[in-house]
Amino acid sequence: MQKLPLEGIRVLDFTAVWAGPHVTQWLAVMGAEVIKVETNTRPDLTRHVFSGPVAEAPLSAVFAGLNYGKRDCTLNMSLPRARDIARDIARLSDVVAENFGGPVMDRWGLGYADLKEIKPDIIMYAGSGFGRTGPYKESPAFAGIIEAFSGLCSLNSYPGGGPLPLATRGYSDLAAAQHGAFAILAALYHRAKTGEGQYIDLSMTEVMAGFIPEAILDYTMNNRVNGPEGNLHKAMAPHGCYRCAGEDEWVAIAVSSDDDWRSFCNAIGNPPWTADEKFSDALQRLRNRDELDSLVQEWTEGHHHYEAARTLQQAGVMAGPSLKVEEMLADRHLEERGFFVEIDHPQLGAVRLAGLPCKLSDSPPGNYSHAPVLGQDNDYVFREVLKMPEEEIAQLIEEQVIW
Amino acid sequence: MATLSALIGIVCSTPENGLNGEGVEYFSMSEKALHGLNVIEWAEFVSGPYCGKLLADLGANVIKIEKPGCGDSARAYGPFPRDLPHHESSGLFLYLNTNKLGVTLDTASASGAKVFRRLLEQADILIENHPPGEVAELGFDYESLAAVNPRLIVTSITPFGQTGPFRDYRSCNLVSFHTSGMAFINPSEGVEDTERDAPLKAPEHQGDLMAGLSAAVATMCAVMGREVTGQGQHVDVSEQEALASIMRRELGVYTIEGVTWTRQKGSLLGQTSDVYQCGVGAVHLSCSGDRHWPCWVEVMGNPEWATSEIFLDQALRRENWDAAKVMIEEWLAEHTADEVVSLAEAVRVPCRQVNTARELVESDLLDSRDYFAELDHEVAGQVILPGAPYKLSETPWSVSRPAPRLGQHNVEVYCDRLGYSRDDLVHMRAEGVV
Repeated sequence: MQKLPLEGIRVLDFTAVWAGPHVTQWLAVMGAEVIKVETNTRPDLTRHVFSGPVAEAPLSAVFAGLNYGKRDCTLNMSLPRARDIARDIARLSDVVAENFGGPVMDRWGLGYADLKEIKPDIIMYAGSGFGRTGPYKESPAFAGIIEAFSGLCSLNSYPGGGPLPLATRGYSDLAAAQHGAFAILAALYHRAKTGEGQYIDLSMTEVMAGFIPEAILDYTMNNRVNGPEGNLHKAMAPHGCYRCAGEDEWVAIAVSSDDDWRSFCNAIGNPPWTADEKFSDALQRLRNRDELDSLVQEWTEGHHHYEAARTLQQAGVMAGPSLKVEEMLADRHLEERGFFVEIDHPQLGAVRLAGLPCKLSDSPPGNYSHAPVLGQDNDYVFREVLKMPEEEIAQLIEEQVIW
Repeated sequence: MATLSALIGIVCSTPENGLNGEGVEYFSMSEKALHGLNVIEWAEFVSGPYCGKLLADLGANVIKIEKPGCGDSARAYGPFPRDLPHHESSGLFLYLNTNKLGVTLDTASASGAKVFRRLLEQADILIENHPPGEVAELGFDYESLAAVNPRLIVTSITPFGQTGPFRDYRSCNLVSFHTSGMAFINPSEGVEDTERDAPLKAPEHQGDLMAGLSAAVATMCAVMGREVTGQGQHVDVSEQEALASIMRRELGVYTIEGVTWTRQKGSLLGQTSDVYQCGVGAVHLSCSGDRHWPCWVEVMGNPEWATSEIFLDQALRRENWDAAKVMIEEWLAEHTADEVVSLAEAVRVPCRQVNTARELVESDLLDSRDYFAELDHEVAGQVILPGAPYKLSETPWSVSRPAPRLGQHNVEVYCDRLGYSRDDLVHMRAEGVV
């Protein structure tokens, strides 16, 4: 039987909230055994907050969507005995991951130096807002803060507008997480070749800086400070998002060449204005794009967004509906590709969640087991992995070490 | 800029002779994590090249294939030093193609296709971002390539993936961002009038970068899997899904709670952590939490209004945040963003300036982390590039070579590695194959 790519890799996971759990989620779905550590006194914050406005949900969508594929054990890390046990699990792990707001792991005796002593080839991943060195190494951070500090927010607006918070609030968390997963995989590859482990220090600020290279380079090359461009493009017109017939329905259209332009004009039935000298070449269209955009919108307003996109795509023009959340869930294309995964969760029932964005042709579908209930794998971890005797486990529960 | 030149940047040697006959060893003094992985990048602009860059920067041997003549379209994109366009000095290209070897090849010609297949015989990974139909027409679909080299991992990065009704739709970063659902809610609760203010694409090429990133992670999973199975596979990454996957909260909340977002102002989320205007500049401030709120009220000098019972606990504050926000902004208007950040830091309330790229580059933070990579480029001059977002203790990231000039490594790759003669190369050139 075929195996998932990361079967046999064990990850001891102290991450919480958003950025860390997405790192280990990738590894878990791809077959690694991820053991998430929480405690009843301090469960992952996202179990109950950061959900939607309906605060009564038994488990938040964030937790359900960021932790599937993982196992879960409860260890009260404020107690020294729990830290000893965590070290015992680390000794049997390939990767230890954390994303605390400061040097918590060091305080617990689970820093890289400590871990390396008990497991010389351990790979340790530390994700943080500003990095584990430098002046902000202990500063609190989360996605919104990072998107502001990194310059991304200053560019997120309509042309000439002030900075606006970015769409999904976990944007930089998830971008950072995937860089983290990539670095861990590279480190695992290196370990497989050389036997050497290592420490990975990831900074979310640096992730986002790498996602606005044009602004950084325009500054370092030309001393120019870029502002927001909205849906516009520096060379293409039309290039925008246009209102359609339905309620709050919009279509994105991009015309990249003179050939595209001719296709576009044909697709919309060659209204007289398309022959205007003002729009006859790319430079002219750019110069007159405000007027052009309102004429394009006159056409789109007569069509629904999917329909407008289909008409243009059939003519070979780049276009697509600006989808609402509920439209995503009903989208025929995403459905056919199996983007969403159906997960039966003991607290939530059957839910439909975003899967990971890749399909591997010759691996089984990923491990999409439901996000763990707190401590659901205590038996597995303490009895099977650590081979603790029953009495000891009972004692540890009694002493609220396993808690 | 003074702080920049003081950076311990990685100054580039010209590694013309770094390649030996086998095309494996470059600089053996410290082997990077992905040393020994041979990658062919047949991709252009942002998504595929970013995937290739992530691999190359950690030591994979990446050979980038460009079409003869104008090469990768990112070469034409800029920004250009002193705004002088030149195909060797586009900032976006220089950033996305560090540490790669570059060759030119017309893969659509019969002899070009032959050379391409020979390259793939020796490769571990092919990264490509061409329309699925075109790839199949050229005979480079996964099945055909697997027949040539069953160990080959083929990573395809396309707007809508390899399957489904939209697989042949054309797209670009703008269209991907909108079809992913992210644009419809951007800016997050940021506009008064949704009729006037369209769903908004995020800055620059977030969609293309995200697709390249997800592809790199998935590719490395396939590489790890191959260590066990010995078999390659096809990795199918859709840019729409790479972005939609980031929407996991919004999609999940809709399923679980039936709530849908828009970009409409109005605190559906009760989002208290937000961008606030200051007297000078702006900050992102998060002060409504039970630990943070009393600290922040004290910072503001314990104003009377803050004691109102509508702000008594976090849930109430979330509900009444519009009222609180007005008062907080009134106070913020009397202060600069820098002052506000210092005050917040002292009481550990999460708060940072809304920086421009300039402020980010000049900040003491990135300087202290040796973030930027500084290199001397023969055409672009001194270039300062964003560095890596991670530090690997044993296999450090570095820029060992700048992005290749168009066809720079044709001789090394075709003659030294594949064994074509100089004569062959001259013929291929005359044919327009390279």
